[in-house]
Amino acid sequence: MPNNEAGQRLTRRGLLAAGPRAGLGLGFGALALESLLCDAQPALAAPAGARAKSVIWVFLSGGYSHVETFDPKPALNAHAGKSYDKTPFDNPVNSPLHRKRFRSVPAEEINVRDVYPIIYPMQVGFAPRGRSGIEISDWWPQLAGVVDDLCFVRNMWTTDNDHAAENQIHTGRHRLDEPQPSLGAWASYGLGSLNENLPRYVVLGGPTRSDTRQSIDSLYLGPQHAGVPFAIDPANPLPFGRRQAAQSARQQRDEFDLVARLGAIAAAEHPHDAELRARIRGYELAYRMQAAVPEAVGFTDETEATARLYGLDVEATKLAGERLLTARRLVERGVRFVQVFPSPYGVWDSHQKLKENHTRLCATIDLPITGLIRDLKARGLFDETLVVFCTEFGRTPGLEQRGGGVDGRDHHPNGFTIWLAGAGVKRGHVHGATDELGYNALGDGHYVTDLHATVLHLLGLDGRKLEVPGRRRLEMDHGEPISDILV
Amino acid sequence: MAMPLQPRRRITRQQRRGSWGWMAGGLGVIAFLVWSGTADTLSAAEGPVDDGSDHWAFVAPERAELPPVGASGSGHPIDRFLDARLTAEGLEPVAAADRATLLRRVTLDLTGLPPTRDDLGAFLADTAPDAYDRLVDRLLASPAYGERWGRHWMDVWRYADWHGRRHVPDVWNSAPQVFRWRDWIIAALNADTGYDEMVRCMLAADELHPGDRDAGVATGYLVRNWYALNPNDWMRSTVEHVGKAFLGLSTNCAHCHDHKFDPFTQEDYFRLRAFFEPMGLRQDRLPGEADPGPFQPYDYSVLRRVERRGTVMVYDRAADAPTWFYTDGDERNRDLARGPVPPGVPAFLARGRQPPIEPISLPPPAFNPILDERLAAAFRADAVAAIEAAHRSLEEVHPLDDGVGLARKTAAAAALGRATAALVSLDARLAAERLRYGSAPPDQVVAAAEAATAAERRGAEQSALETLLAAEGVLATARAKPETDPARQAEVVAAATTIEKALGAVEAARGAAMRPADGAYTRIAAAYPATSTGRRAALARWITDRANPLAARVAVNHVWMRHFHEPLLSSVFDFGRAGAAPSHPQLLDWLAVEFMENGWRMKPLHRLIVTSVAYRRASAEPSTAGRAESGGAASVGKDPENRLLKRMNVGRMEAEVVRDSILHLAGTLDRTIGGMELENAVALTTFRRSLYYSCQPEEDGRSPFAAVFDCADAGDCYRRSRTIIPQQGLALANSELVHAASAKIAGVLWAGLPAEQQDKRGAFVTAAFEHLLGRAPQDEEMAACLDWLGAEGRGPAEHLEPVEPEVRRAGLVRVLFNHNDFVAIR
Repeated sequence: MPNNEAGQRLTRRGLLAAGPRAGLGLGFGALALESLLCDAQPALAAPAGARAKSVIWVFLSGGYSHVETFDPKPALNAHAGKSYDKTPFDNPVNSPLHRKRFRSVPAEEINVRDVYPIIYPMQVGFAPRGRSGIEISDWWPQLAGVVDDLCFVRNMWTTDNDHAAENQIHTGRHRLDEPQPSLGAWASYGLGSLNENLPRYVVLGGPTRSDTRQSIDSLYLGPQHAGVPFAIDPANPLPFGRRQAAQSARQQRDEFDLVARLGAIAAAEHPHDAELRARIRGYELAYRMQAAVPEAVGFTDETEATARLYGLDVEATKLAGERLLTARRLVERGVRFVQVFPSPYGVWDSHQKLKENHTRLCATIDLPITGLIRDLKARGLFDETLVVFCTEFGRTPGLEQRGGGVDGRDHHPNGFTIWLAGAGVKRGHVHGATDELGYNALGDGHYVTDLHATVLHLLGLDGRKLEVPGRRRLEMDHGEPISDILV
Repeated sequence: MAMPLQPRRRITRQQRRGSWGWMAGGLGVIAFLVWSGTADTLSAAEGPVDDGSDHWAFVAPERAELPPVGASGSGHPIDRFLDARLTAEGLEPVAAADRATLLRRVTLDLTGLPPTRDDLGAFLADTAPDAYDRLVDRLLASPAYGERWGRHWMDVWRYADWHGRRHVPDVWNSAPQVFRWRDWIIAALNADTGYDEMVRCMLAADELHPGDRDAGVATGYLVRNWYALNPNDWMRSTVEHVGKAFLGLSTNCAHCHDHKFDPFTQEDYFRLRAFFEPMGLRQDRLPGEADPGPFQPYDYSVLRRVERRGTVMVYDRAADAPTWFYTDGDERNRDLARGPVPPGVPAFLARGRQPPIEPISLPPPAFNPILDERLAAAFRADAVAAIEAAHRSLEEVHPLDDGVGLARKTAAAAALGRATAALVSLDARLAAERLRYGSAPPDQVVAAAEAATAAERRGAEQSALETLLAAEGVLATARAKPETDPARQAEVVAAATTIEKALGAVEAARGAAMRPADGAYTRIAAAYPATSTGRRAALARWITDRANPLAARVAVNHVWMRHFHEPLLSSVFDFGRAGAAPSHPQLLDWLAVEFMENGWRMKPLHRLIVTSVAYRRASAEPSTAGRAESGGAASVGKDPENRLLKRMNVGRMEAEVVRDSILHLAGTLDRTIGGMELENAVALTTFRRSLYYSCQPEEDGRSPFAAVFDCADAGDCYRRSRTIIPQQGLALANSELVHAASAKIAGVLWAGLPAEQQDKRGAFVTAAFEHLLGRAPQDEEMAACLDWLGAEGRGPAEHLEPVEPEVRRAGLVRVLFNHNDFVAIR
């Protein structure tokens, strides 16, 4: 443990700024201890070059269809019912990109995922929207009104062709490669706190399932950088966040006071014990967090107009609306990374009845997400908050025929669309494309870590400098910021 | 996923020597990385072959000569090494910790449970010179030792309960019986089994102790890495973690390319994998439990059930399973032209002597478990019990005149016939199995097999007959219903159809019974290959060989870290060139040699460490103001991280210890050892020790309480993180666990104070400090607490919420749980 004199405390950002040599001799323990030693300092100004103070990362679990949301492909309608090799276009399955971006978790001798070659037409219409004329589908009538504020990336790809891709888009690693911390954990690790009464990295509605824990995990960065799930319940928003019923508020205050008094005696007894000081501070923060968290997840001070803006008054939109409104409240209060799962695990997974599924689900998200964009703009938060809207993969241009299916699409890691909005990204802009059939992301496309690099870049961070001694990451883990979408 | 590192030319040996000089000079690995990455200082690989002999950790440790007795005046070998460095750096060690502090430190260290107030009183009263030594012996002999250090080794060995898709449930990773491996670890530690033997059992108990199911569960180490969907992933995890856990080598770096720092090639990676390639998993029945049947293999369309019965262990399934070299870390990119890669250890460690691999002929009960008499008896007992049950049923059915009763009686008789025939079939097949691998003449073997076939067919016939007669019973029952019953007709028709089918089955069974017996009877339990490749046994022996330079050093470093809260070498899973430099290389080597020469036994190593003067020092820095004359002021500046151990480090309870200590001090800890893991959902309402709750990487693989105190990351936990986050304060202030314990402890302590006590409240404060923090309060602390509690003759300070005195006392106990010195180990 470092045991630094006052005024010489190390901060992690100090370490990073000083370059690798400053990390000498600091083991895990040091990394862990810094959590509070570092937080005990006033929040630093944003890192040089930071465009965003906070991120609201919205993830739709299950894989929404890119060709029925944000990536129109008229060729699918023109060639509906034909197989890929009967179109004038190159058969996308024969592209080397197909194999590169399509890796099963099961070994090939155990299961090989079918590739469905019969083209399935778009199940919804598209039209140009806004001044930018960007086409999005008719299932997003509200979002159409703010399309000029959004920046679409239509050439994303990932590699897992099954739902562990949900972890992959958050960690950058396929299930068969060694796991890595989530993007939110890296952001927490790299950034100072703007409000030490709240965690830096908060999760709403997640992890979506027991086995998607990785999507919020910090692994070797330590639990202080893991996403902290909040329940949107002011009475009990986080584990142990509520007083025992038998104890009055004053009683508890009395106990905290005595803890503090005994802590001060111990601190005088052990003047060199930095961990003791940090723990004393930790208890003070605990007391304040107990008050701050319920306040942040309660809506009592929100107007009725705001509630309507997020669709809190309608059953279909209430769940997503509450989570997205909470996200806005959290970034307002200085939380750095809010990871929102506005719909439950896997619901966008439309192997069958895609039209019915997406019609219904888009209607649960369309109004609240649009409300968030409008609300951030109205409050002047849009310029300092980055909104990311994504899913784990797209859906096959071909009809899924498994089990005699006639109306759905399978998982499709080879190309999908996400969008960003707010701090530091272009407005009313489309970047990249898939091929005519919506199959392969064209060019190099963007692996999920390019998105990570973009987010970190906008936060003023360089992923390559967020290295932990003994835990070297690979080139692929870092990605490159998508420079074309940056302002 | 192809994730290439940026190409970097290999470093020549001379350059590496140069870099090592830097590292020894204290600049360390980071500078080395930066420097080695600077292209203009590098030339393309040339020069002599890299045999690793320039790196200290790749050369077998020698027992260094003990330095002379130093500043602490201790002749203890550990102190002599530590003193030598302290003196060289001009540092003066601090004085010994007081006895109360030492008691709490060593008790938590060796058992994971704090001393109670009674323990404290007894130890302070024991003024004999050997009181501490006896204490250490007692703690090491406690079953709690195995649980405490078992959890430590479970970290290193990546213990994980079953997981995969727990919400379904569907077992994809590890096995639901893997808790037996955890129990084996605890038992082995309590028995002071050598570390070398433990490692050998975990890697190859099936080869080294064939037929010994108790030892076989040790292969849970390998079972834990199993992944249903992709055997390659099983191999990948195994190679990575065998390297990190036992050898301190980052073997995983060579998955996609030759290691950038150590002479460990990509070929070496696959050679290491080849030791494990033949592995499969088997599931064995345990006597005293029902038969779980064979191990459920993975089928993409079938859920894998949570099977708790029996044991799961490793065996060599396919001796000829090829290990293919592949590129980019993607097993689809096999380089078939290279041919299969044979097993072998890296040349820089083999030093010309590859471990000899001899196929192992297994004794028959090992590969054919039914030949284990206890198991045969279990199957026989099942069959006998079935007969008894059939008898009882038969006696309970009375043949009445209405025809229904008679039909039922007939069916019951048929059931008895089936059960009896099943026992005959079992016995015949048992007899055949017993002759199958013996030295009996072939004609006897054939005759027994044919008899088994015949008996099994008769059993099948009886079974078909039972089905038929049962259906007739159903038909009779239906017919007996009044004609007006609307269901009658349909039931009669259905029963008649069943009878029709059953008649066909009886015909078929009789026909089969008439055919000549071919000897192809159904095995009673799964059987496995009679020969194991011996690959894992060879690797295990090689790892634990006295000449292996890494195994003992890595183990000793892990043990040291858990005693002193800091390791001698900080990169605990990387002893290679990219790893850190040890703070006391000679001490590390001396301990490694001592460990090996002591039979790799851990209890003597613990005893050696905790009886050193260094371990017994106070943890406080000498105060700058008061003790300048003792060199204190200079000390803080000179070795701020206390790498040289002039004082003890302050520890912090791990998540498990926090919870267990609260329960132990409240007297509610359930000390039952072992068994199936419990769910974390009940971790705060049930009171077993924390290591018995589900530990795996999914969301429910940790309790919310343990999660905030840095519980094990079941995926990778060579070293625990040690954080301070506000949620820890919330957990200690608000959890039901702490509230219940506080009330209980306050009541017990108060009731235990002598009635005639003058100042009962003062005595209560003292008792609470002693019980929770293991020490008496200082004057200032006493004053603060009395102020809060209210001294004799007057109430508590006026600004406090008025509450009943017992509520206030419980509050005081809770405050002490929230005191830094509860979770801190001074």
